[in-house]
Amino acid sequence: MTPEILTLCVAAALLELDTTYAFQLTFSRGIIAAPILSLITGDIMTGIQIGVFTELLFADINPLGGILPPSAVVCSAVSLALHMLGLELYFAFFCGVAGAILFSLAEKIMRKNRFKWLIFWEQQITRHPQMVNRTVVLALATSFLMNFFLISIFIWLCGQFMLWLLPYIPMKAHFACKFAYMAVPWIGLATLVPAFRLKTR
Amino acid sequence: MKFQNLGLTFVMMPFIKELYRNDQDALPSVLQRYLENFNTQPIMASFCFGALAKQEELIAQTVSLTQFKEKVNDWNSIKKSLSITTASIGDRLFWGTLKPLTLLMALFIWLMLGVNFFEIDFPAQTTLLYAACAGGAAFFVFNAVALFVKWQGLKISYSADERSCFGLTRFDWNKTIYNAKRIGLFLAIGMILFGIYHYLKDFEDIDVHFVTRAVIVLFFVMISFVTRKLRIPNMYLYLSAVFVFNIVCYL
Repeated sequence: MTPEILTLCVAAALLELDTTYAFQLTFSRGIIAAPILSLITGDIMTGIQIGVFTELLFADINPLGGILPPSAVVCSAVSLALHMLGLELYFAFFCGVAGAILFSLAEKIMRKNRFKWLIFWEQQITRHPQMVNRTVVLALATSFLMNFFLISIFIWLCGQFMLWLLPYIPMKAHFACKFAYMAVPWIGLATLVPAFRLKTR
Repeated sequence: MKFQNLGLTFVMMPFIKELYRNDQDALPSVLQRYLENFNTQPIMASFCFGALAKQEELIAQTVSLTQFKEKVNDWNSIKKSLSITTASIGDRLFWGTLKPLTLLMALFIWLMLGVNFFEIDFPAQTTLLYAACAGGAAFFVFNAVALFVKWQGLKISYSADERSCFGLTRFDWNKTIYNAKRIGLFLAIGMILFGIYHYLKDFEDIDVHFVTRAVIVLFFVMISFVTRKLRIPNMYLYLSAVFVFNIVCYL
């Protein structure tokens, strides 16, 4: 873990709060989060590409009702961090997508557990109304810490594993992953056409 | 799960404190109502805030227990019905239309500035200004609409009544969404064509690389339409592509 990657994890954990917990100003969108995170890695073009690919790939899943979409911030952060560690972009992106899916599963578990904890805080707020601000700050702080913990652990584990595996990966697997990576914008762009289907009238 | 109950309480807290400044004992029972289940679209929630604030004022002004119960029942039904309606409109407008629309806008800006994000081998470096342009434009357009709706929602819903559905009927949401989707559809098709041009423009002859790229574009555009019909998320299509390509390479 280099200082740059640690900074990247902190920035990603902060941006991830924008998804649900604070402000919701769309800082957590792929096309915004990835270029911001790439300022830390210093490779802006890679940041744009990862951002565009992430947003296009996750464009068909929206946070409607109880649906928890995979995190674009986590995907961008993991991809950029692993690429910075020396992994090819197509492998890094594959790990990023896997990380985003795992993160949304972890988030679901966290939400279920936090619900029990929130009942206690709701009782406290009912008794002492001034507790609401403290509860919100505490909820934000714990979410930030959990985000940071999960993102950094995943980057560290995935980085160690992939760097160990890299010399053993045959050239054919490189080609396969590269082709799949090349397909990502087209998968996403083709989804946008039916996304605008005129069913609203 | 109570979804956004804590958020609602946090937003309404300054108003509730001011309203019940001379009746601090009422606060626990008032907060209990706000801490009940609440779930809507976060931007459109401002319509709920205004309407609930107005109704809360009526509750605070009640003089008899019967009147109080009646107003509290009204408050609960406003909260429930308005949160469902605003969620439905907000999901279609913001997540279903404006988000992909601003994405397309950003993609067009980047391609027009010469930032070819399709090129995966040696993407040419770009300046920070160019990188910020498209992302910034998407950010500002989305948030300008969101802030306008938040501001107007709060203002209108506080002054409007039940007959105008707390101000919701002042906007023609369906027409707005319909028009935005029409623009989006036009931009999405344009983006595919523009993208294909950028993806293939550097090839002078039809060689194996050109054919490979053309096949990838055609195959995945076609298969995306199929998976969309089958409600299979894109990410699983990508993960399957990695898996299938690996098998094909080893055959």
